[in-house]
Amino acid sequence: MKSGAAARPGAWAALLLVAFSIALAAVPAGAEEAAKETVYRNFPLIGSRLVVWAVAQLHLNFAAFILGVPVFAVIIEVVGWRTRDAKYDWLAHEFVKLVFAAFSTTALLGALLLFLFVGFYPKFWAFMTNIFFTTYWIYALLFFAETFTVYLWYYGWAWLSGPRKWIHVGLGVLSNLFGITILFIANSWLTFMMSPSGITEAGQLKGGVWAAVANPTWMPLNVHRLIANLVFGGTIAAAYAAFRFLNAKTDEERALYDWMGYIGNFVALSAFMVLPFAGYWLGREIYAFNQTMGITMMGGFMSWLWIIQAILIGVLFLGSNYYLWLGMERIPGSERYRKYVPYMLALLSLGFMVWATPHSLILTLDEARAMGGTHHPFLGFFGVMSAKNTAVNLMILTTFLSYVLYRRANRLSLKPWVLTGMAVQWAAFAVAAGIVVFYGVYGYFVESIVRIGFSVYQVGAVLGAIALVMTIDIPMFKGARSTGAIRWGQIPARSQYVLILLAVTFTWLMGLMGFARSGIRQYWHVYGVLRDTSVDAVTPALGYAANIITLVTIGFFALVMFIFWLGGLPEKGAAMEGGHGHAPVPVIAGGSDESS
Amino acid sequence: MQIPVGVKVVALALATMGAYSWFANSIPQIESKPPQDLSLEGNVPPAQLVKAGEAIFHTKGSCETCHKIGEKGMRAPDLGGVGARSGKRKPGMSAKQYLIESLLQPAAYVVEGYPPIMPEVDKPPIGLNRSELWAMVAFLESLGGTVDVTLDDIPATAGAAAGGGGGGGAAAAVKMPGDVNAGKTVFTGKAVCGACHTINGVSQGKVGPDLTQIAKIQAPDYIMKKVLDPAGMGTVSGFPAGVMPKDFGARLTAKEYTDLVAFLLTLK
Repeated sequence: MKSGAAARPGAWAALLLVAFSIALAAVPAGAEEAAKETVYRNFPLIGSRLVVWAVAQLHLNFAAFILGVPVFAVIIEVVGWRTRDAKYDWLAHEFVKLVFAAFSTTALLGALLLFLFVGFYPKFWAFMTNIFFTTYWIYALLFFAETFTVYLWYYGWAWLSGPRKWIHVGLGVLSNLFGITILFIANSWLTFMMSPSGITEAGQLKGGVWAAVANPTWMPLNVHRLIANLVFGGTIAAAYAAFRFLNAKTDEERALYDWMGYIGNFVALSAFMVLPFAGYWLGREIYAFNQTMGITMMGGFMSWLWIIQAILIGVLFLGSNYYLWLGMERIPGSERYRKYVPYMLALLSLGFMVWATPHSLILTLDEARAMGGTHHPFLGFFGVMSAKNTAVNLMILTTFLSYVLYRRANRLSLKPWVLTGMAVQWAAFAVAAGIVVFYGVYGYFVESIVRIGFSVYQVGAVLGAIALVMTIDIPMFKGARSTGAIRWGQIPARSQYVLILLAVTFTWLMGLMGFARSGIRQYWHVYGVLRDTSVDAVTPALGYAANIITLVTIGFFALVMFIFWLGGLPEKGAAMEGGHGHAPVPVIAGGSDESS
Repeated sequence: MQIPVGVKVVALALATMGAYSWFANSIPQIESKPPQDLSLEGNVPPAQLVKAGEAIFHTKGSCETCHKIGEKGMRAPDLGGVGARSGKRKPGMSAKQYLIESLLQPAAYVVEGYPPIMPEVDKPPIGLNRSELWAMVAFLESLGGTVDVTLDDIPATAGAAAGGGGGGGAAAAVKMPGDVNAGKTVFTGKAVCGACHTINGVSQGKVGPDLTQIAKIQAPDYIMKKVLDPAGMGTVSGFPAGVMPKDFGARLTAKEYTDLVAFLLTLK
């Protein structure tokens, strides 16, 4: 009889053999399982793409708001601090109050978006994590830093006033620095998806993560989004003020929110005028990174998207100008400038029509025969970039002129060189317009590769004119004689609906541009590297996209209204107790000599 | 009765967004669908090749974004008559050689008056595979010339990086650890592949495509996935869909699968 000890090795061997056999038998399942690696999961009913789309758009809307508003809020606070004008401090506090209310919703939506990616796009998320893991830590830490800074900034408004105001302003600056860095990090992820760099053909980092972060479209998008956030923050804040104006019970309240709406719109308009230039830069970098992507964006299945964009931007230009013209009605002395309004309106309308002219039309054979081709024999000339660039640059110049006239509406310069100054200003407008038109026409006679370069001269001329005119305008009207105080609060109610229209339009435009940025990748999660093999790999048509954008924008405004209502509850409580919020409400009704 | 401000504001917002949506729905609705991968094997008649190439021209190749046929393009030359013209472009280079070079190394010769913007079409994002390049050249040759391109004319390395599976394309040459002879036995035995596929000297099935040169035509990544997920990898042009069994992943052991793939990769 064998001893137990001797029998044990045999038993172990038999056990191992059985285990090996079981393992071998299990291998086929292993091969099958390997083939079924979870790449996607499906969200019930509406599908994964739609839920990610909706949450991403909502998150971006809120994020743009909470990153855009603090930029100008801190500037306004500095103005109030240096000029010792309490109304600016109140306004800055009002703006930060809106940000504060929207802060947690932004974070919640961001967390939800993360869960959706991890759960429904696991392979994609693993791929991105392999490359960007380092940045996740930085992002999270910065988010903590920004949260605490904004909380301190908001709650410390009264505590850090007086001699400690500089600390408070410093907190505002710091929260902006954190916020902008967060924006740049998030931008690196999504621009990498458009224009990947710093990786091998096998999708692994070649060196450090910086090469992937600093991809070709990163910095142009950073600049574009930063400016767009300012516009967005301005329009939403202006719409909030408009709503408060329309519901105001007293003249004082109306004056206050009229002024707040004006400042919000002023911020939005100032940033909006330079936004197209940032857009040019981004577009040029997309072309430089990959011609196919650039051509798909502008000349492929997305070409009609730019017609819709032109209409939206046309509405924004016309709306902004109309608001300024209505605003002039409450400024004594502005009568002398109102005669220019019909001409400016004509120029804007003409520019709008040119910009919205499609290059080629999709027609039936009979229609094409009747027209002599897919290009209209006359209007077809206006559907090309030469005409469109000319139109948009002239619209920017016109809008700037509207602002300049508004700015000096109740002021008479006392400077001895005023005539020379004005002559130089008008000459700057004329020269810029001349350069824009010259290169617009010349563009028809050169190759496309040469024509693309002309837009730089056109943009340069417009920006140069803006810089020169303002450089002269500021000293020229310093200490100017007033022709009467601005009658804040006495603007027609329809002007406030214009502010709401601008906010809705810009929010919708952001959704459309998000679709464009994402859609140009077509069936790639990461362009040319990680292919979208899901059932949603098809990029939808514009009608479907527009319906989704509308639904999400409705959702955004519903949330915004709810959050702002929540944010206003303490104020209501304080009012019922006979007090106010953190900063005293200034009295603006009765007039102000300032126009901005 | 006065309409409350909130109602007016909501109505304005909804009307504005509704108008934008309405306009977006009233213009031409164009979807961008992901292209289907094409796989051509064995002796493909020129007519079928040209037809397949024309389909690629309009879809996966994205060629017509810049090129027109019979019309001068703004960004790229007219391809009308290119089959006849390309034999005269570069001295000592035949039409098919020129066309292949134009597709794989477009910067080697740029037609005067046009910018050098054409991408290498066998690389992502377009990423044509060898079969598709073959068909594309045949289609271009058919535009005024004679279709004489064969699969052997397309470089073996072309299309190797066409994938986009999160790791770029499959490597041009993959050495499988499996046993080639054992794989041949699996092919003719347990997997019964020979009942449907022809391999010269091994089997003579006619239901599916000829696999005699499959490793020359297709990337290893495609072959490996095709065995496990035949429907997911598309059906070869000219053959019925849904015939190839979907359960090889369950029926074969890991070793048998590895051996089978190792054998298929020797078929060049």
